[in-house]
Order: sequence, then C-alpha cells, then structure tokens
Amino acid sequence: MPPAAPTYWSPAARVAASLLIACYLAAVVLPPLAGPPPASELASRLLQPLRPLVGAVYLGHGYRFFAPDPGPGHSIRWTVERADGMRLSGSLPDRSADWPRLLYHRRFMIAEKIAPLVPPADAPAEVRRGARADWLPLAKGVAGQLLERHAGERVELALVEHYLPAPEELTAVEKGPMDDIVTPLGAYARAGEGRGP
Amino acid sequence: MTASSPSPSTARGPRGWCAEWLAGWNAFWFTPADPLPLAVIRICTGALLAWSAFVWLLDAPAFFGGDGWLRPADVWRMNDQPWQWSWYFCISTAAAARLLTAGLLVAAVCLTLGLATPLAALVSLAGLVSAANRTPLTTFGLDDTLGMLLVPLVVGPAGAVLSLDALLGRRAPQPSVRANIALRLLQVHLCVVYFFSGCGKLLGASWWEGTALWGAIANVQYRTLDLTGLARHPLVVNALTLATLWWEVGYAALVWPRLTRPLVLAMAAPVHLGIGLAMGMMEFGLAMLVANLAFIPADAYRAVFLRSSSTSERLA
Repeated sequence: MPPAAPTYWSPAARVAASLLIACYLAAVVLPPLAGPPPASELASRLLQPLRPLVGAVYLGHGYRFFAPDPGPGHSIRWTVERADGMRLSGSLPDRSADWPRLLYHRRFMIAEKIAPLVPPADAPAEVRRGARADWLPLAKGVAGQLLERHAGERVELALVEHYLPAPEELTAVEKGPMDDIVTPLGAYARAGEGRGP
Repeated sequence: MTASSPSPSTARGPRGWCAEWLAGWNAFWFTPADPLPLAVIRICTGALLAWSAFVWLLDAPAFFGGDGWLRPADVWRMNDQPWQWSWYFCISTAAAARLLTAGLLVAAVCLTLGLATPLAALVSLAGLVSAANRTPLTTFGLDDTLGMLLVPLVVGPAGAVLSLDALLGRRAPQPSVRANIALRLLQVHLCVVYFFSGCGKLLGASWWEGTALWGAIANVQYRTLDLTGLARHPLVVNALTLATLWWEVGYAALVWPRLTRPLVLAMAAPVHLGIGLAMGMMEFGLAMLVANLAFIPADAYRAVFLRSSSTSERLA
C-alpha cells in the first residue's frame, strides 16, 4: 500500500498545539531546576501552577543520576521474631532471593531512599531526634510488610551502609578494616508502635 | 578585515528575526513526519513496560497493597499529593493490587503488539503513573524514562505502522504532524534529562577528578559484573568517568548537528549497556537507549523493517 500524502495543520491548530507544547516543555524543564537542592526558588515558584500537570504525567524528576557523587550502597538488616519464639533474619534487598534483578533493584531502592533520611549514629542527639519524624513512618511501613510476609510478631531493623573502598585499599598488600556502618532503626511490634533506637 | 554580509533576519530587523524564529518553530514541530520511528519506540517501550509490570505483579501486594512497603497514609511524604494521583489509592486488598497490575500488564502487551494502540498507550501511561506514584519508595530511573517514553506514544500515531491495528485496518501509513510532535517531545525531553544529569554530576568532586565511576564499580549493592580489577588502572577509570560526564553535558548541543549526531548516539550504547551489564540496571539502560531511537531518521528504520514494498504491505 503506497504512503498517503501528508496532511498539514491550520494556523489555529498550530497556535493551540504550540501553547500545549510550551506548557509541557515547562513541566519538563522546571522540576529539575526546582529540586533536589541546590535548587532555584524562581523555578520552584514558576512550577506551582504546573504541579497538576507534572503530577498527572509523572514529570517531577531531578534527573540527578549518580550525582553529585556516587556514594556507598545501603541495605536494611532485619530480624523477625515469631509468636513461637522462632527468629528469622535477612536483608532488604537480598541478592540471593530477590529475583529477577529488577525485583532486587526495586527492593534495593527502599534502603537507598530511607538512608539519606537517617543521620549517622554519631550525629548530635538533636539532629537524630529531628530526623526521626522523616524516617520513622517509612521504617514502620517496611517493618509492617516484613511482619506480614514472615508471619512475625516483632521485628528489629538496622540500616547498613556498605563500605565503599578506594582503589588503593583494594590493591594494598595489607588490607585495612572495611567495616560497614550499622545504624539501628528500632524494633516494631505487629500491633504498631515503634520503639526507636 | 573582510566585510561579511548581514543575515536576512538581521537585515530585516527584529520583525525579520521573529518571522524567522516562527518559521523555525513551525518547521521543527509541525512538519509531517513518518510514524515508523514512533512505532519502533512503541514496541520497545511496550515490551519494557510489560516486563516491569510483570515484575511488579510478582509482589504486587507489597508494592501497592494496604500493608505494602510504603503505607498508603505515608505516600504524601515522598511525592506531591494530591497531584500525583494513582488508581491504587482506591484499593487496599492484595487481590485488587494484583488485578490492577495485571491490567497494566495487559495494556503494555497490547501496546507492544499495536492492538487498540491509542487506548493501550493511554492505559499504559495511567498504569505507570499510578504504580510510580503509589510506590515512590521503589522507583528509580527506569520509571522516569518509561514515563518520558509513554507520553509521546499517547500523543502520536504510534500504532500507524508495525502494528496489529495497521494490519487489521489496512490503512496506508501517513506522514503526520502528530508523529513529528511526538518524536520532537521525546527528543527535547531526552536532551533535558541528559543536560540535568550532566549538570548534577558537575556538582560532585569525583566526576571532576575522574574517579566517580569507581564509586559505581566498587558498590557491591549495584554490582553485577566485577570490574574491581580496574583499581589497578586508575587512568582507565578516569577516562571512562570523564567521557561519561562530558558526553552527558554535551548531549543536548551535539545531538542536533548532523556531523556530531552519529558520534553522540554511538556513545549512548556503551554508556547505557555498560550501566546495564555492570550495575544490574539493564532495563534502565535499555529504556534510555530506546529514547535515543527518537534521533534516528525514519529512512534508517525503513531500510531495516520495510525493505521491499511487499514487506511494507505486510507490516502496514
């Protein structure tokens, strides 16, 4: 079948389409200017009327892939206790159990997204107290899901920051300590209330 | 000193410049284009989305159910409510979570095959947005990229060729303005992604120092291919880091001129396949490569997919 002749748009149609295109392009460009920090206050204000569009078609991204610097990876170590006293432990994500790889990666993101909200264990107490409001609700969700899937009554969580060795540390004849940093995230009972670290 | 003749727009003053700018805008957005590249992008995007939906379906209650990793009441902490809507907000049971995710899977398969394409594209976009907005704790670059790919598939005639719709309808493929707008939206969006990704990296010392790629190589949580042997070859890591950085930063400018476009597009393959193979994010790497297909001219696809008129008839 031979190709049909192309059709062209009227000036009115082009004006209407241009307005929609401009709107869409603004919704694409403004979110990465408006966040994550460092971000522009002007972009943030200009973005306000476009929030319905940005939210509706999932455009609110910063596109800062592996920026500003690739950092260490994280996981959440868990120990579930069942009603009969049996204890199960594991890691989120779990390289040996989470398959296919995309499933592993989605679970890996849970630890990666909670990690920036959790101050290190040696941070000032005031900072740690202030940050709890950010990460505790998310940790409760993770705890609830772990209790659900392992039929547990109580679960303990800890955030693990995996040591990121420098090249010279791997090539050194005598290797120094490469310890992961473990930050307790508290214990959670099935009924609900979390006890923080 | 040699005298240079003024360009026509300069000669005509601001009005001439505006008229030229307007003509350029019209030509860029409203010149009818072959829908074939969009169809190829549709097939690849549909397949990736179908795979993503299948993986979501493996653990749908944990991703989208009432007792999921992220409780419904806490979603607002991670995205912009109420604008980031989701059809999963209406459900709480595991069965409903599975049913809606299966619906997304069916839509993605239809999109791949080009069956009821406009509806399939719309439902696929709605499904992806719903999933990503319900479970922001588990999303990453793949989801951002699939969203970027799906909007143009809703806008343009993605099922006009290489589709069951075309096969059943027996309509001739027609160069269309909508196809052009869809491809242009994707091209511009991709440039924005690379530009901000590159600029974000410029904030990090390790990208300037040429050591950033080591951070990815040595991260055991990401690693699927052990490249730690590169610890003995720091200059290789340096070259790979700087090549990645400046390719991303320069992409938005260098992908448009015909002279540099093949080089820029050729670089996309090792960068994204490298991320896919070494860091276990093959789907993300492939999705970014699919987005790059928007810059390949229709003639190149025609040479591959529609070699003869008889083939053309079969596919159209």
